[in-house]
Amino acid sequence: MLLRDTFKTAFKGVTVNINRSLLTMLGIIIGVGSVVAVSSVGKSMEGVILSQISSLGPKSMAIFPGQEQAGPQGVTTGFDSLTFEDLNELKKLKSIMTVAPVIFVQADTSYGREEGSPRIVGVTPEFFENQKLSASTGRLIDEEDVTGAKAVAVLGSDALDKFFGSQDPLGKRIKIGETYYTIIGAMDPVGSQFGQNVDDRILIPFSVAKNVSSQRYLNLITLQTAGSFDLAFDEIRMLLRYRHGISNPENDEKKDDFMVHSSEQANQILGSVSLGLTMFITTVAAISLIVGGIGIMNIMLVTVAERTQEIGLRKAIGGRRRDILLQFLAESVLLTVIGGLIGIVAGVIFAFFIAEIVELYLGSYRFAVSVQSMAVAFIMATATGIIFGLSPARTAANLHPIEALRYE
Amino acid sequence: MTASLIQTIALYKSYENDGVVTPVLFDINLKIEKGEFVAIMGPSGSGKSTLMHILGFLDTHSSGEYLFQGQSTGVFEDDDLARIRATRVSFVFQAFNLLPRTTVLENVMLPLLYHPSIALHDRETLALKAVATVGLTDRKNYVSSQLSGGQKQRAAIARALVTNPDVIFADEPTGNLDSASGIAVMEALQKLNDDGHTIILVTHEQATAEHARRILHIRDGRIDADMKDFKRVIVNGNGRLK
Repeated sequence: MLLRDTFKTAFKGVTVNINRSLLTMLGIIIGVGSVVAVSSVGKSMEGVILSQISSLGPKSMAIFPGQEQAGPQGVTTGFDSLTFEDLNELKKLKSIMTVAPVIFVQADTSYGREEGSPRIVGVTPEFFENQKLSASTGRLIDEEDVTGAKAVAVLGSDALDKFFGSQDPLGKRIKIGETYYTIIGAMDPVGSQFGQNVDDRILIPFSVAKNVSSQRYLNLITLQTAGSFDLAFDEIRMLLRYRHGISNPENDEKKDDFMVHSSEQANQILGSVSLGLTMFITTVAAISLIVGGIGIMNIMLVTVAERTQEIGLRKAIGGRRRDILLQFLAESVLLTVIGGLIGIVAGVIFAFFIAEIVELYLGSYRFAVSVQSMAVAFIMATATGIIFGLSPARTAANLHPIEALRYE
Repeated sequence: MTASLIQTIALYKSYENDGVVTPVLFDINLKIEKGEFVAIMGPSGSGKSTLMHILGFLDTHSSGEYLFQGQSTGVFEDDDLARIRATRVSFVFQAFNLLPRTTVLENVMLPLLYHPSIALHDRETLALKAVATVGLTDRKNYVSSQLSGGQKQRAAIARALVTNPDVIFADEPTGNLDSASGIAVMEALQKLNDDGHTIILVTHEQATAEHARRILHIRDGRIDADMKDFKRVIVNGNGRLK
């Protein structure tokens, strides 16, 4: 029997009872669909994180005070391990190109009737360089603003929207705490860096923040390395451990009273998150395909029983064991392949709608499909058809023609 | 001298089930020549269907010899038997065994899927010819559920005919039909025989067997009568005996 005839016959077998075939495929459709949808969402999220990492630049680093925090978002004022002296010593390290100290100021903000609490951040001009921030209007804080301790402010894009909407903010005076600051510029939207929303911020000169907060410690130091990350890491750790009197010969980061993060590290974390996601998807796929496969095996066994006389006839008119085996195997493969294709389309549509919704809240989220996961899901679905279709097909192929013809 | 189409020598068949051996056929010696119309008759359980299954390569014998066109079939493997069924023999069953939701033409074309040497583009032509032979051209696109019993059996005969086999085996072909339809089916088989086809008919009805030219009577697994040159009953186009 020609392969063409085998598949034609199998196709007829599948389409003769469309409803039953669709119900049989359901497990495969859900399995493949969920894999495609989850991996597409994962790929979109990866894109969001990657865009944040690339916005920082490949040489970007940050030193946070404290330790044992659940991520940098848990670190605010009150962690006092990073001092101004640390900053001066860090500036001397050859592995570091630029250093920018940061102080957060706790204060309410208002402009006219509009009130809010964006993060108030005291920075030097190097901060903008380290974080790859640029002005959308006006200018950024310069050296003169810092040395002159001028009451000026630069708005993040979210803060700009909140307080000024479509108004031109330049020259307007915004009240932060008890002081009025003149708006000199606003920044392009960035999203988040090191897990913090950079857009819902107001930046003021470092010297002003220092005076307003009366703070003797730094909340954050951002850096640009001159060359190797590893060298910069080692030098920073050695310097700060020495200065903070920490004996840590075993190089256990948890013993330190500071944390060093880099965009490279974020990349590595992303890599492990991706790996975790891949394993999760594979597990989901494997479970759903096994469940779907058992459903297909069950229905195929019923089909073989229902069509025993047909099998007898096919054998009587010359069908070989192999012909019957291939016909029923092709039916189960067709069920899984069609189910897989429907699942892919359903998964892509689902991921598209998710993207449409998430884009409203996370501007940098873009709809993306993982062709690799589609291919893997499709191959796994086909393999499921072969594996779970084999037993019913063998049952059919091994039927004795006379017994099959007499079956009632 | 040319070999007989079918020859059996001391053919014996038994079935074994849970260690219990049940003999079914004993010492069957027969020759059937090309162009014959043989009816194998006998009561239920006599072994006539078993003999037909062995002669039609649906089953194998336990001992003795079965020569088909002079060639011993004892060494045939499953695939060899399937190939012979695809090319040299064909069957008409009591229950018609047409595929449901499938047209007459598609049913008739079915054996051609398994025929190793009939070209793809010849299939439809051959099937149409077979359908015309049994007078079902006007119903070639009917699905089996739209046909009467007699029409179904004629479609089954067309299916048996389409590969131009050496022998057509008919197993109780009138068993599920009313007498008029049964006569029409026998008329179709007689016509095929007149055209040179060898037909082996299995039946337990004397009236049906009388359409053949030779009647083999089987009782308790043995041939107890072989009536050659039997004066057959001939049916005309109106289904009446003459």
